[in-house]
Amino acid sequence: MDEYDELFERQDDFDDQFADELEVLAEMEMDSSKPRGRQSQGPGDDISDIEHLLDNQPITPKAKRQKQEAGVVKRLFSTSQSLESKAPSQSADITPPSSPEQFEPSHTFRSAPAELDISGFATFPATPLRPHTVAPASLRVLKRPPLEGEYISVTDSSGTRVYLRQKEDAETKIVESRMVPNSQGSLGLLALPVSVMREQEAERRHQQVVEESQRLSELLASSVNDVCVEPESRDDEVEDDDDGDDEGRTSRLWVDRFSPRHYTELLSDDFTNRCLLKWLKLWDTVVFGKERKTRPARSDRQATNQHTFKPNQGNQNPNRFKTKMEMTEEILEAELDQYKRPKFKVAMLSGPPGLGKTTLAHIIAKHAGYNVVEINASDDRSAEVFQKRIDTATQMKSVLGSNERPNCLIIDEIDGAPVAAINILLATLNRKDGHGGEATTETAKKKKKKETILLRPIICICNDLYVPALRALRQQAFLLTFPQTQPSRLTQRLAEISLQQGMKADTGTLMSLCEKTDNDIRSCINTLQFLHGRGHKQLNAKTIQSIAVGQKDQNKGLFHLWQEIFQLPRTKRKRIGEGFEEAPGSGGGAQRFQHILHLSSSSGEYEKVSQGLYDNYLSMRVRDPNMHCVCEALEWLSFSDRLNQMIMHNQNFTLMKYLPFLPVTFHFLFAHTHVPRISYPHSHHEATSRLLSSRNALSSMLADIPACIRTRISQLSLTLDILTLLLNIISPKLRPVNPQLFSTREKEQMRELINTMLAYNLSYRQDRTPEGQYTYVLEPRVEEVVRFPSLPPHRQLTYQAKQTISREMEQERMRRAEQLMLQRNPAAKDKDKKSAVPKTTSNHQQRLENIVKQTTVETRPEVDFFGRAIAPKPQRAQKSSDTGEKCPVLAMGTAVGNSDVWFRFNEGMSNAVRRNVYIRELL
Amino acid sequence: MSLWVDKYRPTSLGKLDYHKDQASQLKNLVQCGDFPHLLVYGPSGAGKKTRIMCLLRELYGAGVEKLRIEHQTIVAPSKKKIEINTIASNYHLEVNASDAGNQDRVVIQELIKTVAQSQQIQSSTQREFKVVLLTEVDRLTKDAQHALRRTMEKYMSTCRLILCSNSTSRVIGPIRSRCLAIRVPLPSTEEVCNVLTSVCKKEGLLLPPELAKQISEKSGRNLRKALLMCEACRVQQYPFSADQDVPETDWEVYLRETANAIVSQQSPQRLLEVRARLYELLTHCIPPDIIMKGLVTELLRNCDGQLKTEVSHMAAYYEHRLQLGNKAIYHLEAFTAKFMAMYKKFMEDGLEAMMF
Repeated sequence: MDEYDELFERQDDFDDQFADELEVLAEMEMDSSKPRGRQSQGPGDDISDIEHLLDNQPITPKAKRQKQEAGVVKRLFSTSQSLESKAPSQSADITPPSSPEQFEPSHTFRSAPAELDISGFATFPATPLRPHTVAPASLRVLKRPPLEGEYISVTDSSGTRVYLRQKEDAETKIVESRMVPNSQGSLGLLALPVSVMREQEAERRHQQVVEESQRLSELLASSVNDVCVEPESRDDEVEDDDDGDDEGRTSRLWVDRFSPRHYTELLSDDFTNRCLLKWLKLWDTVVFGKERKTRPARSDRQATNQHTFKPNQGNQNPNRFKTKMEMTEEILEAELDQYKRPKFKVAMLSGPPGLGKTTLAHIIAKHAGYNVVEINASDDRSAEVFQKRIDTATQMKSVLGSNERPNCLIIDEIDGAPVAAINILLATLNRKDGHGGEATTETAKKKKKKETILLRPIICICNDLYVPALRALRQQAFLLTFPQTQPSRLTQRLAEISLQQGMKADTGTLMSLCEKTDNDIRSCINTLQFLHGRGHKQLNAKTIQSIAVGQKDQNKGLFHLWQEIFQLPRTKRKRIGEGFEEAPGSGGGAQRFQHILHLSSSSGEYEKVSQGLYDNYLSMRVRDPNMHCVCEALEWLSFSDRLNQMIMHNQNFTLMKYLPFLPVTFHFLFAHTHVPRISYPHSHHEATSRLLSSRNALSSMLADIPACIRTRISQLSLTLDILTLLLNIISPKLRPVNPQLFSTREKEQMRELINTMLAYNLSYRQDRTPEGQYTYVLEPRVEEVVRFPSLPPHRQLTYQAKQTISREMEQERMRRAEQLMLQRNPAAKDKDKKSAVPKTTSNHQQRLENIVKQTTVETRPEVDFFGRAIAPKPQRAQKSSDTGEKCPVLAMGTAVGNSDVWFRFNEGMSNAVRRNVYIRELL
Repeated sequence: MSLWVDKYRPTSLGKLDYHKDQASQLKNLVQCGDFPHLLVYGPSGAGKKTRIMCLLRELYGAGVEKLRIEHQTIVAPSKKKIEINTIASNYHLEVNASDAGNQDRVVIQELIKTVAQSQQIQSSTQREFKVVLLTEVDRLTKDAQHALRRTMEKYMSTCRLILCSNSTSRVIGPIRSRCLAIRVPLPSTEEVCNVLTSVCKKEGLLLPPELAKQISEKSGRNLRKALLMCEACRVQQYPFSADQDVPETDWEVYLRETANAIVSQQSPQRLLEVRARLYELLTHCIPPDIIMKGLVTELLRNCDGQLKTEVSHMAAYYEHRLQLGNKAIYHLEAFTAKFMAMYKKFMEDGLEAMMF
């Protein structure tokens, strides 16, 4: 198209800035050349038709463009063409579009930018457009007498009576009643008197003028390109819709029907669009094998920057921090990596729902020549499946069909994906091996496992960029945050849609709709469709305000909520136009009530919210000398606490509906005009964790207390009565001397101390402080449980004392352990005892005795001839001893075997002297 | 066994130092070898547990004193495992079911049933029933207490329950009616002094009667605390002097300071400081109802007659809410704020009355 050439000539730097965009546009035009041709030849008379509408308009120098715009208007109104031609008198009323360069409010009553003529809609009748074309026959043959106009009743042979409407009267009346109220108002067919309508009309026009002037100035500032480009694509779409799906019209969502099909139709922010497109174009080198265009020098570019979208700030101050835009630009300018891929392999679009992120990704991918493969939350995103899908999408290509374009993977709603899946994505991004060009290694590796580097672009889309799962991915992604859609553009689009659907809605109404939905495109269009389905053909601001749909159940952050609660709303600048209610949140008590209630119930995290309120309300600047507000607030808090308990305990979730009223109360009690300083509520969490740790200390202390003491104490009595005093008791005054030198009394004291500590499972453990000093700390750490800050510290034992105690305790413990061991297996003890005391003596004594006996006397039992033992023998022996005859055995025994130490000569052995020694004797 | 509390604890009903009538009644009760379910209640440190153990010893002989700690794992219907420690002898089992928190019902159901359902093998040598001793019954949830009702009746032949609690107010009526209630009141000041003196005598120490009196007053006649305090005094300084300061528990000191802070100034800022202190107390495992009680006691000291009734009424009101709710800090702070408002108004009214 020659107008682009014209543009190129005019703006050289523009070429650079928008190179990618223009390229796409060029491609697009080739696609759309067919319909365009049809359009240009077809409505020749239409153009002339419109041109006579333009006669009161100053002729613009860019005639060509003007003409085309006119064509657009023509096309938009094509359905009502016949009406228009029938009523040429109204031409003064329809304001012809003016080009933005020419805009002068004084010239016309109301004027619109070229691409969207909303002003025209208002005057055109909304009703007769679509519904009547469906059944044109029934328009004139009626079952009942028509309400207005003249008719003829006809009765046929069978007796049924129909009414025929007199055509020409009806037609003109409909037109006239709507179109030219000033001339025909006297007929009394109007609902409102003419004067009222006139006033309304004038007011609305004025409003539109002001708004459009604002918008125009914005548009002018941003870029001229879009302005001239948009309309032509619009009418393509309109055409599509018109001849495309007449029958499926009712079933399809308007969001789908009116979704943009071309880059130029996108409603989202131009800069974002351009950045994504540029990023995608960076892949051209590796995907399509195109050479990257050489960029002009950097200074050039900066000038462009300045010119196009930073007209005021620019780079006047070189020391200034780079703006986000410049940063993004720089990223896009960065060199490709060794595989000729861009530095960031993934683009991540983030923003609230309904801004057109998915649409943008799809359209850009399509325009850049890719085949879109989408994975979204509805797909299975478990790790294996995800891996498979990524591999399929990035490494393969469809060979069948016409669809031979390379794939571009779009991962939608990635913030809901499991971490495993995201890790797989990251692994895919970071694959390094293979494709370096070294054939030998590559083949070797390929045999092992087929792993190639990522050679296709991936676009991720998420709502919340700061989901923990995305943390790693964030580092490696080209981040694009979606700004809010401009309400003016959204309103234009909505106006187009409502016009096509035959709804009557003025700009103000649509603006309020945008405001209500926070410029959520999807929500706006859905609401429109809903209203249309309900039979609202004429919209006004009241309807929009009163209707409950379209209000998003979105949750802003907790901080936002707290802020809203603690801050009185500012009285907003009153909007132009009379139909507007005040913005939610401002205004009277009832509205504030509803506003906060809505916010708090949509946030849903009642627990967190009320905790935040609790933590912050006392630091609010509210004059409350009698503390009534505070009491009231706490009353509510305790009420909600009981409510919660009831909900959790009895599973009585119907009570949940009373929870969001707590924030409302707080709002009315504590809201202030100052900006509140809100801190995140940590106190509860902190308290619970500390409580838990002290509980743990106590239970670890209790766990090893012997049963006889354990039965007398509980955790409660330990904290309330025992522990503080116990800690006092176990820190007596000790003389700093060696425990061996203690007096008996001190030794006794020490013994008791150690007994107590052992009984209560306390001990000292050597610890090293960060400063490198050694200290003894009480284990388990119950000291922290009973000691309070800001109380006078208790007497502490010295390091030496603790050391002594600790050592003594070790010994005592060993002693006890041994005792316990002995008790455990009494058999061993018995044997041990026998062997230890009597047996040791008897052992060697016996042996010695035997030796002595063997050597001295044969102590054989005397037997008689038959081998029977002779009884009186011992008697005789006793007698002999009694008589004083020394038994040689006994004599020998006393001499040798009665001493504890004994000696036996073993030749060549060194362990001749033996003695049994036990640990307990050494302690 | 070296703290005096443990060392000189009486082990048989005959050796108890005070409430001797009750001791003899208990002796008579178990004389015939059987007794009904018991609900022993009284303030902490009055000697409930001592009495129960004496009773058991009277019943079963010295074998009850051979205790062992058992770790039991109970699987709740929700497949959650609950760990609980029990102390058991051959004849009885002691459980603190409130250790299990919200799951105490399961503990009651499972544990007591298994004990109660098992018959004694040799009923000739032993009693035909076992005793289950449940401590801190007032901290059981209502569910658990209801779970106890039927168990008590059903397994009467094989098992007796002794419930031990601080007050009966939180024990549900059906359980109270199934038990013989035994109240163990606190010893009088003289009794505490006597016990302290006799213990010191056994230790070979000389305790001045003034100090004994001081200790018994400071301990609030809680004998356990009194003995511990006495021992702490001994560690602190010996020989004793009559005007020695008696060490106190930290949390009581801290609570008193908190109460003073409340009385000295009433403003949201002060409330914020008080909140921090209350949090501190709560995190030191001091139960909220005890904080509330201590706070009221301290605050009432600073109140006039008229205000006293109002404050106690408010305290009762908020304490009840505290029991119903979950987050103790809200209710404690609500009480504090209410007190502040009331006190401030009272003071201002008083000031106005002075002016005119």
